Amino acid sequence: MSNTTAADFGNLVLRDRVHGDAYCDPQVFEREIDGIFSRHWIFVGHEGEIPNKGDFRQRQIGRQPVIFLRDQQGQVRVLMNRCTHRANAVCHLERGNAAGFTCPYHGWRFRLDGELASVPYPDRYDADFDKSRLGLRHARVESRRGFVFATLNPDDVPLDVHLGALVLAELDDIADLSPVGELLINAGVHRVRFVANWKLMVENAIDGYHANPVHRSHFENVRARTGFDPAALTTSSSPARIRDLGHGHCAWDSSSIIAKGTRNFPGNRPTETAFNTYRNALIERHGEARADHLLTKSGSHLYIFPNFVYVGAHYRLMQPMSVNQTWVQLFPIMLKGVPQEINTRRLRTHEVFYGPAGFGQSDDIEIFERNQIGLSAALDPWSLIARGIHLETRHEDGSISGQITDELSNRAVWGRWRELMTSEEDAA
Amino acid sequence: MSALLERVQAFLYQEADLADRHVYSDWLALWAEDAVYWIPCNDDDADPQTHVALIYETRSGLEDRVRRLSSGYAHSQNPQTRLSRVVANIRTIELPDGLVEVRSVCNITAFRRQIIETLAARVVHRLRPYGDGFRIVSKTVYLVNNDGYIGNMTFLI
Repeated sequence: MSNTTAADFGNLVLRDRVHGDAYCDPQVFEREIDGIFSRHWIFVGHEGEIPNKGDFRQRQIGRQPVIFLRDQQGQVRVLMNRCTHRANAVCHLERGNAAGFTCPYHGWRFRLDGELASVPYPDRYDADFDKSRLGLRHARVESRRGFVFATLNPDDVPLDVHLGALVLAELDDIADLSPVGELLINAGVHRVRFVANWKLMVENAIDGYHANPVHRSHFENVRARTGFDPAALTTSSSPARIRDLGHGHCAWDSSSIIAKGTRNFPGNRPTETAFNTYRNALIERHGEARADHLLTKSGSHLYIFPNFVYVGAHYRLMQPMSVNQTWVQLFPIMLKGVPQEINTRRLRTHEVFYGPAGFGQSDDIEIFERNQIGLSAALDPWSLIARGIHLETRHEDGSISGQITDELSNRAVWGRWRELMTSEEDAA
Repeated sequence: MSALLERVQAFLYQEADLADRHVYSDWLALWAEDAVYWIPCNDDDADPQTHVALIYETRSGLEDRVRRLSSGYAHSQNPQTRLSRVVANIRTIELPDGLVEVRSVCNITAFRRQIIETLAARVVHRLRPYGDGFRIVSKTVYLVNNDGYIGNMTFLI
């Protein structure tokens, strides 16, 4: 496309189909960075990654480098990683703990809250030089149940409006898996990259229809080891549902096929003793009904537009690098207040499927890369997302649901994408 | 060269050749029943009980890996990655329990879908004498990029 307008971006998404340019056109990517990632709430990390004062992680908002940190007062902040003097990156380590940041170029020193503490040889500045106006620039930051979101747009809606009550309830169900309501993000990170558009992973995160053809080799292993057939979850006769939670956020609820009050640890089941200790601690905190609800639901998936995914034992931070390059970090979630064995089983269960050598995600990524190739065949440029479109169920809480193999989540995500990509407010 | 080093070298070369040629069942047969295969993630010193690994597998996990690769449905190895590896800098330490600790380095050149990549690692094997050769009791692979973003790593390392 040349001289693209907001309306042109809108033409790439119809209710039941998506144009290949939405995944392949560099102009679309530029607009996503400017219009979505730089103007709306995005996920930046979990507070558990930075438990101590001075802990920091490098992150990106769109293409902009930021420092995700806990300051000297214990407050979580997202600061632009750019010296306010001559723009050197003040933080060069990917993660660590610091008392502050000193720019390596001319020695300007910043505190963890971003304030400019000192500059060398200040006598050569005039009386107008005002350190209080030269702190590191901040993004707006809010967190819910430890999940931290940031926006570069001072006029953005409050985070609760962006997330909505349905997503907030999902975050409660994740955080409450810890009997003390606290997640520990201290078990490292898988980093994977692929040669395909970032939205191919978004679509895949809440897509039940792909599971049986793509993950057949893994499902056969699980069946051989445990007798449990994961493929039953994702046939068209499965009772499992996909939910559109509004604003492009979606969930996949597999609890209907998990035995009540059990945890889905295929191949890596904890001992009875460890599991019962964990379950009893949850019951003490929440009562039996909610404890079993949490356990049964814990194999579910959550996607928060645009760059957050939660699946089973990890959350995922997606970083688009270019129209066909994507970097992803997967953080295993450890539960505070459970026997160590439970957390170790969560790690082993995670590794079997995820990461660059895992048995499941590696095949998803292979499919994304083949998808990027296929999308360039433009004689008929449309990709179809109509499955189950006539069978959507609207609920009183505002959600819409469909059967697990329906393409309801694709329609939800692309609907939100179209809305933001065509927003006149952001066109400038 | 000592007789032990010569036997260890022959064993490591055999393992490397089987992995390069994707001869999965023969590669699996080199491992002991009580084997542990570990590729640390993020940090060479990470404790696998509390820190995620790229691979942390006992015998059953290795069997699952090989069953999957042999199934015909592992898309990420269809087509297979073309592999050529060099194993070098081999040193042996005889341990009091009769095992042999072997320290080596490994450079793997991997080619798939017009992209050629290199993986490099320090490797520590613990080998149990078995007949004329050995069985692998543990193998730990310290990749130089274990904290980096990694693409397809589904072939045998």
